[in-house]
Formats: sequence, C-alpha cells, structure tokens
Amino acid sequence: MREGFRQAMAWLHTWAGLIFGWLLFAIFLTGTLAYFKEEISHWMQPEVQTHPVDDVRSLNVAQQYLQANAPTAARWFINLPDAREPGLSVMWQDKVDPGQRGNFMRKTLDPVSGLAVQARESMGGEFFYRFHFQLQMPYPWGRWLSTLAAMVMFVALITGIITHKKIFKDFFTFRPRKGQRSWLDGHNAVGVLVLPFHLMITYSSLVIFMSMVMPAPILAAYGNDTQAFFSDVFPATDNAPALGQPGRLLPLASMYQQARAQWAGGHVERVAVNNPSDVNASVNVFRAGSDSVVHDFGSTVSFSGTTGELLRVSGEPSLPAVVGGSFYGLHMGRFAGPVLRWLYFICGLAGTAMIGTGLVIWLGKRQLKHAKAHVMPFELRLVEVLNIASMSGLLIAIAAFFWANRLLPVSFAERSGWEVQTFFIAWGLSLLHASVRRGRRGWVEQLSVAALLFMAIPVINALTTSHHLGVALASGDWAMAGFDLTCLACGVFFAWAARKMQRRGVPAPKAERARPLTLKREAH
Amino acid sequence: MLIAMLMCYAGFTALCLATDRHHGELLRSKPSPARRLGLRVAGGLLLTLAIGPAVWVSGWAQGLVEWCAVLMLSALLLVLLLPYRPRLALILAGVGLLASPVAAFAIL
Repeated sequence: MREGFRQAMAWLHTWAGLIFGWLLFAIFLTGTLAYFKEEISHWMQPEVQTHPVDDVRSLNVAQQYLQANAPTAARWFINLPDAREPGLSVMWQDKVDPGQRGNFMRKTLDPVSGLAVQARESMGGEFFYRFHFQLQMPYPWGRWLSTLAAMVMFVALITGIITHKKIFKDFFTFRPRKGQRSWLDGHNAVGVLVLPFHLMITYSSLVIFMSMVMPAPILAAYGNDTQAFFSDVFPATDNAPALGQPGRLLPLASMYQQARAQWAGGHVERVAVNNPSDVNASVNVFRAGSDSVVHDFGSTVSFSGTTGELLRVSGEPSLPAVVGGSFYGLHMGRFAGPVLRWLYFICGLAGTAMIGTGLVIWLGKRQLKHAKAHVMPFELRLVEVLNIASMSGLLIAIAAFFWANRLLPVSFAERSGWEVQTFFIAWGLSLLHASVRRGRRGWVEQLSVAALLFMAIPVINALTTSHHLGVALASGDWAMAGFDLTCLACGVFFAWAARKMQRRGVPAPKAERARPLTLKREAH
Repeated sequence: MLIAMLMCYAGFTALCLATDRHHGELLRSKPSPARRLGLRVAGGLLLTLAIGPAVWVSGWAQGLVEWCAVLMLSALLLVLLLPYRPRLALILAGVGLLASPVAAFAIL
C-alpha cells in the first residue's frame, strides 16, 4: 500500500513536472530576474541619471513642474526616486466632465534639474516582471495559465517530497561527473536544500493570484494598467470633491515631513494630489512598500491641500490583511536590501535549476533505453527539442532583449514593442534551430551563442553608451556595473556549460550503462 | 547577516560530519557514537542559535527571513563545495567558527 502510494506520487511528479516544466522554467527564470527589476530598468534607460536621494528636493521639483505644466489637472501622482529607482516620475490626469475619465500623462523628471528626461522608450525590467505572471497573453488568460502552473508546481513539490525516499540520509549528497546520477543528485540537492523558498514562493503566488484572478484591488496587478489602478487604489469618494473655487496648494514637503513623523520615520513612496488647483485640494501620502516585510496595501496619511490640516491616518491593517500582506511581501522581496536581494536571486536560480534538471532527468532516463538505436521515438525527440528551446533558447531570448535595447535607434518608432518582439523572435528562432539540430549539438550551439551574447553585453554597452564598466565603477553606479558584470559572469558560466556538454559528447563510459537499474529504483 | 551565515555554515558542516558517509570521505575515519552525537548537537545548536544575531540586527520579521535565506544557501554552498573542494569546505567552516566572535563583536 505504502509503496503503491509512493509510486502513484512519483508518477504524478514525473508527468506534472514534464507537462508544465517548460512553462515553469520560464516563469521561474523571468520571475528571478524581476527581483532586479529596477536595476535592469536602470541599465535599459541609462539616460535617467542617478543622484543622491533627497526626497524634499524631489518633491519640490515635482510640485514646480506640475504647477507649471498641469495646473488644472484632476489629479497628480508623484513617485519619489529611491536608491534603486533614480528617476522622479510624475503623472497627471486631465480634468474632464464628470462621468468621464481624463487622459493620463506620464513624465520622468531629473530630480535635480527638474527637466523632463528624454529617456529611450523601454519596458526595462518591468517586461520580465509582467511576463512571469501574464505570459504575454491577453488579460485574464495569462494569469489563469500562470495560476494553473503555480498549482501544478505546488503539486510537483509535494509529490516530490513524498517520492524522495532519503531526504535526510542524502541531505548533503552531490556526486558530480556520474551522468544521470549527478543530475538526480543535483535535482534533489537544489530541491531539498532550498525547499523552504520553493514552498514559500509557490504558495504565496497562489495567495496573490487568488485575488488577482478575481479582479480585486492589488497593487502589483496594475502598473501600466493605470485606469483600473486609480479607480481601485484611490477611490474618488474618499476625498472631498472639488468646489470649483481656486485655491493655493501648500508646499507638499511639509506634509511629507508630517507623514513620516506619523510612521516613526518610515519612507514615502508616492504622493497623490486631488484637484490641486481647487480650494478643496487633498493630498494623500503613501508609505513605501520597502519599509516592512509585511506588505501593507493602503498605508496612507491624508491632508487638506490648502490648509495643510491632517485629515486621516489609515489604521492598522486587519489580521487577514497582515497574513495576505506577509505572503505578498515575502514573494516580492521589496523589503530586501542588496545582500538579501542577491540571496533571493540565488534562491530563484536554484528553483530554476531544479526545474531544468528535472526536465533533463525525464529525458535522460528514457533516452537510455534507445541509446543503441540511432533514431529516437517522436515523443522523446519532441521533449528534447522543447527542453533545448525552453532552456538555452530562453537564455538567448533574454540576451537578445538586452541587445535590442542597445542596438535599436533611440528614435525608432514603437521601440519598446520591438524590444519585446526581438525577445520572442530570438526564442522562436532557437526553437527552429533546436528542431533541426540533433540533441547534444543543439545544446552546445545554443549555449555557445548565449555565452557569446552575454559576454558581449558589457562590450556593446561600452560602444553604444557612455556608461561603460569603467565609468560606472568609478562613479559608484553599482546597478549599472553590476548588470554588466553579472552578464559577463553568466556568459562565462554558459561557455563552461557548453564545453562540458561537448566533452560529454564522446560515448559514455561503460560504468554509466550499469547504473540505470539502481537509478530507476530510487527515482521512480 | 554575516555572523548568521558563518554559524549556519559551520552548523551544517557539523551535521554533515555526523554522518558516517561524509565523515569517512572528509576525515577518512568512522565517527564514534559519542562524537556523532556531539557533532549533531553542536550542529543543531549552531543552526538554532544563528537566529539570535539575525533577529538582533534586523528585528523579528526581517531577521527570520534573513535566517531562512542564509540557512538554505549555506547548506547549498556546502553541498556544492563538498565534491569539488572538500578541504576548502572544512577550512571554511573552521574559519567561520573562528571569525564569528569577531563578527559578533562588530554588531554589538
């Protein structure tokens, strides 16, 4: 009975893992990149300059700019720069008749000069963030599919734990250079050792999606989708309506100071002003999400814009909000400083590696049966092609995305859209390539291409911008330098992997042949 | 976070040495039952006690997250080092233990 149960779980683990493995690999890798979303955006929009953060100066600059350019707007939104996001972003909504929605305008300002920055159009790191839960599909479908993938991931994790017989005995075991055995060891090691992260990230994604698929107000769900965002997060009913009499808006900086005092020095992320030119103007100051592990969706302090009177301080969140907020906060890791952020990143890579090794094991085990025959059955060949395209192909696509950012002319029409197109074209080409090349050669070639593309990224950055590694390091722009160095390191790693793949291309030694029997008993 | 990392790494190394297989590989001998028990207790204690400095520096919420992170990644580091550089893995644990009082002093 017990063995029967375990076998059933192993079966589920095998097939659930295979069918969703390719998609989950992409979700995990792009989601991992999203931990460095702001840093990636910074690299992809080098025109936005980094200045020492000074919120009061930024607020004054933003207020002056909006007063000059959008005095009659219905609302202003000011997103303050922080250590990770150098640009000061302002947005305003035109005033229109009641019952209609005004258009939104968005500008990125230089927080010192107050001038609008002419930055190249690019989605930056936002692309990876969006892709990892929307999958570049129309509105509800991408989210549904990624929710389904998250559920399958959860099932695969649980069945994986049940299937793994010797969690504690093999806890520290990794035996490299032993073919299939090593892949299984590696799969178990990254699975078991980083299990708390895997469980947290998968379960929390389900918690987040639970409200996402039932369209409830959750901050992360919007971003570009400004309309839904504003109606949900800033309900118009909450603030006093415009009286139609002109009023003078007080400096926002003093309200900023008061709000921070309310939060015992907590940080401000965003300031919203309703009816800025009206006597009934109101100002909402929003707390930064990076302040605490538990994400608080509506921590605000409201003021009257003309008298400066404090109107409302949002209360403590309820217990369910704290539970939900802590899953949300843990998943997004916005509270993490640089070191912890890197640890998050490594955990995410470990999750990606777990999925990747799992896919390789599935194929490797079945390939052994056909090792003598020269033709592989169609289904195995299909899995092989998809393995190559979904893993090394995705790496090429990511590199192509960064290349497009540097090589497409700044004035190119639909530039940001073409960056994304390049990503998918590169991915499609790698699928094509994988389907015409035989297995190992496909791997070696694609990994080599990925290695070259990544290693060259610091070079094209140096050739096309004035922010090359030397400049970035000298000026202490760690996000810019870190991006280049990480790409270089990735390139070196892929080159190593390609070499390793090629060397194993020579016929496997006999010892490896004898192993499948024992392996099957353990893994299956 | 550094001191928690050092303690977790040393703790996992102790737990690793408490198994016959790894003790044999690393030190070329079988551990006596007393030694095995000692290593196991020491390892468990180090892992648990590492919560202390993490929470001390960053508060409960962030401290526990940091502790979990270094717990996972120190084990991963150890497991990846063991087959390739076993001596280095042991030396790191020793250096970590020696350095942790210094690191502790730095956060006080």
